[in-house]
Amino acid sequence: MAWDARTGTPPVQEHPPAPAAPLSPREHLSSPVTRSVLGIQHRMLTAAREFLTGQGCTELLAPVIGPVTDPGARGAKQVDVDYYGHRYKLMTSAILYKQASLAAFDRIFFIAPNVRLEPLETASTDRHLAEFHQIDVELAGASRDDAVALAEALVRHVVRQVLAALPGELARLGRDRCAFTGLLAGPFGRRTHSDAVAALHALGHAQSADAEIDWAGEAILSRAATVPFFVTDYPKGSRGFYDREDPDRPGFLRNFDLIAPEGYGELASGSEREADYATIIARIRETGENPAKYGWYLRMLRDGIPGSAGFGLGVERLTRYIAGLASVWQASAYPKVPGVAAP
Amino acid sequence: MLDAQGFAEAEVRDRARFGPAAAFPAPERYGRALFGAGTGPVPADPLDRLRLVPPVFVPHRLAKLVELAREPVYPDVRLETVVGGLRSTLPLYLSALGSTRVASVDLAVAASAQAGRLGIPMVVGENVAPVNGYGRLAPGAGRSLLDRVRAYTADLPAGFGGVVIQQSTEDADAEVWNLAYSDPGTRPLLDSGRLGFELKVGQGAKPGLGGMTLLDPAAAAKLGDRYTLDAGLGRGTGAVLRSSSPGTFTAEILRQQIRLMRNNFPRARVWVKLPPARDVREAAVVAWEAGADAVTVDGAEAGTGWAPLAFLRQVGLPLAECLRRIGPHPSCLLVSGRMWEGTRVATCLALGANAAGLGRAALLAVDTDAQRGLVNLVDCLALELRMLTSALGRYDVAELAAEDVWAPQAGPEYGAG
Repeated sequence: MAWDARTGTPPVQEHPPAPAAPLSPREHLSSPVTRSVLGIQHRMLTAAREFLTGQGCTELLAPVIGPVTDPGARGAKQVDVDYYGHRYKLMTSAILYKQASLAAFDRIFFIAPNVRLEPLETASTDRHLAEFHQIDVELAGASRDDAVALAEALVRHVVRQVLAALPGELARLGRDRCAFTGLLAGPFGRRTHSDAVAALHALGHAQSADAEIDWAGEAILSRAATVPFFVTDYPKGSRGFYDREDPDRPGFLRNFDLIAPEGYGELASGSEREADYATIIARIRETGENPAKYGWYLRMLRDGIPGSAGFGLGVERLTRYIAGLASVWQASAYPKVPGVAAP
Repeated sequence: MLDAQGFAEAEVRDRARFGPAAAFPAPERYGRALFGAGTGPVPADPLDRLRLVPPVFVPHRLAKLVELAREPVYPDVRLETVVGGLRSTLPLYLSALGSTRVASVDLAVAASAQAGRLGIPMVVGENVAPVNGYGRLAPGAGRSLLDRVRAYTADLPAGFGGVVIQQSTEDADAEVWNLAYSDPGTRPLLDSGRLGFELKVGQGAKPGLGGMTLLDPAAAAKLGDRYTLDAGLGRGTGAVLRSSSPGTFTAEILRQQIRLMRNNFPRARVWVKLPPARDVREAAVVAWEAGADAVTVDGAEAGTGWAPLAFLRQVGLPLAECLRRIGPHPSCLLVSGRMWEGTRVATCLALGANAAGLGRAALLAVDTDAQRGLVNLVDCLALELRMLTSALGRYDVAELAAEDVWAPQAGPEYGAG
């Protein structure tokens, strides 16, 4: 695949269609593609740990179950666990624990497993798994822009390390190094949610100004980009209660998504966090939730936790982007495509 | 057998047995009795004091005459209506029947099956999944949410109806919406645009309070960490009152909850159920502006469930006053409260509602005849709607307007249009 000589832009990789899900665990695990992908993923995780540790972050082991979990996952069902007669949840994300962990260290990260029973229509987006992992980072006293800067530096470091260490694996997968030229050379793009909505409207795509960018809209924006970009300032009502509302711009949140180019779509979500007890209570109600079930978290907030910012970076999605895979399930040893019963 | 004091029980059961024939006096009296309006007692319900008044000059009938090239008659009235984003054969829907025991036996499933056959939307009450189960892994003894959905969709006409699943504050713990949105059992409804979610802000029978159920102590113990329980109200039966909280709402909380529903469930219809509150118009406007497909207003005369007598007697606005306060609006308004016959439904449509919900009437109808009771009741109501609408010189129920309604004494004023 070559650069476009006329426009000077890097090539947009065509994704060969992937089967909806692997046929059998043995076939999947022993395939040369899977071995290359998992080798790249191993290098990515090593690089991420090196980088974040170098940034003063302490790695903690993430909880797997708890009385509550992140309610902010759009349309996805949480998994109940009968914990000695108490209804516990598998983590959809460790967000509440990330904030709590700042009671121990100012800068922390998890490489955390998450389970979300996503709507069945996500089986065909090529970027949803019911079980996946995130590199979860939380920074006390940080702003949204601090988190954006760290996310950008982390992704750049990981890509650089993989390119340096595993050029053969990328070549075997047919992934052109040129795809990362822009990512390595300069800053990531940045646009507000309102701008993204306007751009989609200009392209004839019906996108609600009050909602997250829908999956089709995100794919359109992603395909049009050649370097990763941040979408910031989502409207309230589209995200979890912990994303901080902008005091200078009521109705908008100090948050972001990181979108990969070439149609790979969302890699990460993050925000500056709300840490004020009364504000969080009102925000919990605004998301239709019952504050009673967040008892332990609210007690911590009431006693005071530091303001913070952070993000969760999807490991399998980043793997898919770096390795140039058609579908995210190819980036998991034991993929759980939504709705597909698999080991 | 079910009883429903304060409701037109005998009339509803008559209709459930005889269908459209019950719209008229018994035929054996024909030719032997003189018929004419009586002078019964003045109804207590202000909606029932209003009269529908046909005009002499009927321009809509002329338009229909031109369209048909013959004189229009009542079977020409179109009843098909979009109810909260769902196509319905009639301006009717089956209201939430709650999880109270009367609705938890076979009646709710029978009502679901008949509502499906009729092609009208069905609301599934907030408590059905938490109390009777969702029905995916553990069968709910035929009463679970999925059992209701299966009964409803068995004979549902293509393109009509839909299932709207309620959730309120405590029930958010059960994540019924998330479950339904990601479930293979409801996917045919979702894929055909016939799945909806109703945010329950309140209800007619007990505005300002949350849902209530009487439970035996063992069942209550299982719910104790999630609901308020009161064991002192069972008059020696041991029954325990289980209460939900009413939930805390401000305009911003309501607005954002609706936006989040639209964000998280973009393919589902969004309904909002309001109590007969004094700020019902403000709440309805917030809901519509936030993108709700329908606002349901439950009049103080509504309700199938357990409620304190004081609330049944004297708390909340009558539906007529809710309609007057809401006034003209461009959005979808659904109403419920003592609906069972055509004039009340037609009057509500004329005063700004798009459709009416059947609650107690539906339960009594299926209690009378589990196979056809609701179908019979609705067939009778449909005949009345056609006759009333055509008498008013209109041939689509959506054309009914405030000018069709007359209030006999000084009282609430209804805006024209």
